[in-house]
Amino acid sequence: MPRRDKVTDPWGTLAPVGQRGLVASVGRWQRDHRRVARDSLIHVSQRIGTSLLVWLLIGIALALPGGLYLLQTNLALISNRWEGRPGISVYLRVDAEAGLGPSLRDEFTKDPQVDRITLITADAALVEFQKFSGVNEALVQLDRNPLPALLRMVFKDDTTPGELDLIADHLRARVGVDEVSIEKTWLERVQAMTGVVRRLGWVLALTFALGAVLVTATSVRLAIESQLEELRVMKLVGATDGYIRRPFLYFGLFYGLGGGVAGAMLISATIAFVEAPLSTLLGSYGQDLQPAGLNFGFFLGLLLLGGGLGVSGALLAAKQRLTDLQVI
Amino acid sequence: MSQIELHDVTKRFDSGAEALRSISVAFEEGSMTFLTGHSGAGKSTFLKLLLRLDVPTRGQILVNGVNIVQLPESRVPAYRQNMGAVFQDHHLLAQRTVYDNVAVPLRVMGMTERDVARRVRAALSRVGLLEKERLLPRYLSTGEQQRIGIARAVVNRPRVLLADEPTGNLDPELSRDIMRLFEQFQEVGTTVIIASHERELIAAMGKPIIELSHGAMAQSAGEVDAATR
Repeated sequence: MPRRDKVTDPWGTLAPVGQRGLVASVGRWQRDHRRVARDSLIHVSQRIGTSLLVWLLIGIALALPGGLYLLQTNLALISNRWEGRPGISVYLRVDAEAGLGPSLRDEFTKDPQVDRITLITADAALVEFQKFSGVNEALVQLDRNPLPALLRMVFKDDTTPGELDLIADHLRARVGVDEVSIEKTWLERVQAMTGVVRRLGWVLALTFALGAVLVTATSVRLAIESQLEELRVMKLVGATDGYIRRPFLYFGLFYGLGGGVAGAMLISATIAFVEAPLSTLLGSYGQDLQPAGLNFGFFLGLLLLGGGLGVSGALLAAKQRLTDLQVI
Repeated sequence: MSQIELHDVTKRFDSGAEALRSISVAFEEGSMTFLTGHSGAGKSTFLKLLLRLDVPTRGQILVNGVNIVQLPESRVPAYRQNMGAVFQDHHLLAQRTVYDNVAVPLRVMGMTERDVARRVRAALSRVGLLEKERLLPRYLSTGEQQRIGIARAVVNRPRVLLADEPTGNLDPELSRDIMRLFEQFQEVGTTVIIASHERELIAAMGKPIIELSHGAMAQSAGEVDAATR
């Protein structure tokens, strides 16, 4: 005979924890979740127009910050892959004397601050350019090689930025030198860009997450309004608030998961679209295009985030509409 | 101890109107009682308080010794799962079949679909509408819709069955059929309380009557509990 809690149970239906009631309760809970999940999936798929719109909106909300996250990850990777040593690139004029490059190389090899110097002749630069750009036929039409010779100097770690500036100024003053580029400056710019992208990513993530939650909340609210009579009857016959809310949380979950899939598709399509020019750009800096972060964990993260945003929106709608639901 | 006892129950709305005034009455388990009175006498409010759809401004409502006025909100659904309620306007779900309408209370209680099927068909058979389980409510007559409402109210074998003007839209013969149904539920131990203003029908049933007038007990007739005298 189940113990009757005189304070809260007029009917003597409560069973003490640890007895059959707990097993029965878990069974009821599982059955109800299975039924509600199935019915909610049917509901979402039957209203495919609305569902596609919600998925696309959530997908965009996830794709923008997701894309920025990937960009930031790859920028950080590029700057980490960098040799990490200060360097100077010296571009010689196209009409400079042929012996200028070797002369500068020999001169600065003796400098104790210089670790190593690489001379890339104009001919070697042309071959490298042809390999990356694929514009062979156009280059054949030219009378002469348009590319300059290049000296890459790598300095020892203890070389200060001030010393680099002095050397760069000295080189700029030399006849036959067209341009001098301090590579540490470039590296610092990449790192600064990474910082900007990271912060922008956070701002966009929060803004679009809020948007995704509101979009889901609106869609779920419409679903609630269309079922108000049924909800009133359910409450009359003894449905708990959790039971009434459950289908709508599943709506939110399915909207969110669909949005996660849409977001993953948008990101993948964007990467496929920019792959070719991005390869060229990275190749000009001696880097290969190997997008980091675009893995199973990233896609799973998108799905989980989408699902979380969907459920949050559903909770918001349920709280707004179901809290004081009048039964009759 | 009676199954249901109201002690000095008063319900006053925010507007100041008093729907019930100092009501004290008791109902024995397995009894069938009619609640009658003019329109606005407080019959519907009386039933809503028993269903815990509202709480009285003052007084106690004891069900098996438990004061349901003090029941925590989290316990109210479990309380209602043992009550059945029938209303004049049925509150059937227009987009659900007869079967699904009757199944609502059982699914809320978390029964397996096999048990749901068994009980739904038993309830539909009891009200004589088993062959119409696949139809939508709009294809049924008013009387049939009311019987579906009754089936839904009894499918979970409630301890107490409340009915608010269940024969309001029906002709006399159908009304008598509905009342006989309620008698059958009483015969298996369900406590039945019916609010109705159809005096001739009530008189013909020969059951205890409680009359309300402007929220107060006007008189009682028949074998209503001594608390009412």
